[in-house]
Amino acid sequence: MNELLRSYGRGLTGLFVGLTIVWLAVLVIVPQAMMLEQSLWSKERGSEISLRIDRAYTELETAKFDLAGDLAPDKKAELEDAVSRLEAEIAELEAQEQDPPKVYGLQNYTKMSGLHFNIFVKTIAYAALVTLLALVVCYPIAYAVAHLSTPRKAALLLLGLTIPYAINELLRVYAWLMILDYQGVINSFLAAIGFVSFEAKTWVPFLEYSGSVFVAMIYAYILFMVFPIYNTLETLDRNQIEAAKDLGGSIWLTHRRVVIPHAKPGIAVGCIMTFMLSAGSYAVPQIMTRGKSGDWFSQLIYRQFFESFNWNVGAAYSFTLLIACIVFIFLMMAIFKVGIRDIAK
Amino acid sequence: MHGKNVELSEAVMRFGDFTAVHRSNLEIEAGEFFSILGPSGCGKTTILRMISGFIEPSEGRILIGGEDMRGRGPNNRPTALIFQNLALFPLMTVWENVAFGLEARGVDKAARRKRAEELLALVDLAGQGGKKPTELSGGQRQRVAVARALAVEPSVLLLDEPLSALDLKLRQHMRSELREIQRKTGVTFVFITHDQGEALTMSDRVAVMNQGRVEQIGSADEIYLNPRTPFVATFVGQQNVFRGKVAGLDEGLAQVETSLGRFLGINGDGLGVGDDAMVFVRPERLGLVGRNGGAAPGNQLEAEVEGRELEGPFINMFLNAQGLPLTMHVTNSAEMPAQLAGRQKVGFRSEDALVLRAGDLADE
Repeated sequence: MNELLRSYGRGLTGLFVGLTIVWLAVLVIVPQAMMLEQSLWSKERGSEISLRIDRAYTELETAKFDLAGDLAPDKKAELEDAVSRLEAEIAELEAQEQDPPKVYGLQNYTKMSGLHFNIFVKTIAYAALVTLLALVVCYPIAYAVAHLSTPRKAALLLLGLTIPYAINELLRVYAWLMILDYQGVINSFLAAIGFVSFEAKTWVPFLEYSGSVFVAMIYAYILFMVFPIYNTLETLDRNQIEAAKDLGGSIWLTHRRVVIPHAKPGIAVGCIMTFMLSAGSYAVPQIMTRGKSGDWFSQLIYRQFFESFNWNVGAAYSFTLLIACIVFIFLMMAIFKVGIRDIAK
Repeated sequence: MHGKNVELSEAVMRFGDFTAVHRSNLEIEAGEFFSILGPSGCGKTTILRMISGFIEPSEGRILIGGEDMRGRGPNNRPTALIFQNLALFPLMTVWENVAFGLEARGVDKAARRKRAEELLALVDLAGQGGKKPTELSGGQRQRVAVARALAVEPSVLLLDEPLSALDLKLRQHMRSELREIQRKTGVTFVFITHDQGEALTMSDRVAVMNQGRVEQIGSADEIYLNPRTPFVATFVGQQNVFRGKVAGLDEGLAQVETSLGRFLGINGDGLGVGDDAMVFVRPERLGLVGRNGGAAPGNQLEAEVEGRELEGPFINMFLNAQGLPLTMHVTNSAEMPAQLAGRQKVGFRSEDALVLRAGDLADE
């Protein structure tokens, strides 16, 4: 703080600090707090209350019908009393039905249906699998770019990896849809060589396999895995790899004992980023499954917010996903024995 | 000596259009401490990498223990390399570093640990195995690197300027230490350096390289006393150089006509009259005429004293002979006047001067 004051003076420091506070408050704390509050209450709009309203209406109708007949004055007064009492009750119940009272508690979190819980578990498992596959694909790429090629080749390779990211994510995913569709690139090729027939609908239904979502996701998020690993691998002294080789180390031993330990922080960061992105991905499963199956938890959250208009459950689901991601971060840090400091590097 | 251990036979190394090592032949005896000395970029590291197997020669062969090494990678050669920056594995403990080569050979953990401790004891690091390399001093890290390389029981240990990162005191200490380890183990050491002091004090034999060529191979004495090329003469130790033409010959001596007069010296290249020649005289062989008693030397010239530097046992005198800078070492004895100034007559004996065919000198 003092250093900031010394370097930038009172005015600019005030501006920096002020902007940071405004950013934190307006864009992080307030909306998150509102969401958290939303997730912690619900309005019980049970079927019981409408039943009671229905019953009250029936009683009211009966009382009104009875009133229409000839009655003793005392009986009549009693009935009129009943009618006004019922009308008051109905008004109260209807007001309650219109705006049920808030009930605070963890019910939004705990009352997840079996189906939704299944989807949640599947999403986490799939995201973990996507992360693992991306790691398997990206580690060799990052290693090759960092250590096998000349600087010129490395620059070209990195450029080749970056160019697809200049294209909108949706277009990148649609490209995979084109490739894997029933009458897409692969099936057209298979049809051309007589393997499948469009008329007989014997195409390979790639889009119905979960593999298609994986492929598109790995492609969509590969850079987030490649760059952190590449950055750490680049700082590895080439001599260490040569030393390991000179001492008789096989490729496997060299990677296990020398390269991977060095790349750990990068691998942890890459895994965290890929996992968070794929666990929270909405566009990729939506496009690849054409919104026909609610396979991904993010799609479920979307539907809670914008189709069921149940913001409370939506918020609770969002926080559940967030908590899962935070748990994953700590898990990665524990597995790779890296601290926040290493990751920040 | 048990015969040849490492042999370069007509080896050439090219990188694209650039020839890093011209056709070279080199024979290194088993159990020898062999140094390759040369300025940076002379190709010495390339030779080392060819021997260790990181690169294959473009032409010619590398033999180790009589076996052709072509096609065998660094992990399949009986060599171990100590890198300039040591390349210790920073995330492993010291003993794991030392035992890495054994791990690669599938030795079980208990045996690895035991062998690592033995090797650490050999390099005076007993009990330090549990530390991380970063917790050790520069000299200790050096010894860990040596122990790690020795663990694979190489027949040749290749050292790529491993002392260059150390400070002067430690460097001198490590010289004798390395020499001692070499004597104890009997492993052939091939030591790359640009520091002539290291090469001369440690080695059994030295190869001096320049611009991809081995200029001379010999013992430290031979290299220093009988350099065969102007480059070797000026790269190893200091020299005063007089350029001229051979004017006459006399029983192994050559008389050279220079701008400062005629000088007589040993005809090292078998020169004939009229050849372009250089006369080399070491600063310690140059003396003040008439100071040391005895007969006046055959070659004399006059020079202006320009400065002096006290080295301790001797004094560096800087002279100027008609524009040609000369250096003279004067013994720091009681007879020497503390201040020597003005015009002085200096000289050298003809047997202390070497005449060689004119050629490239080492850059100062």
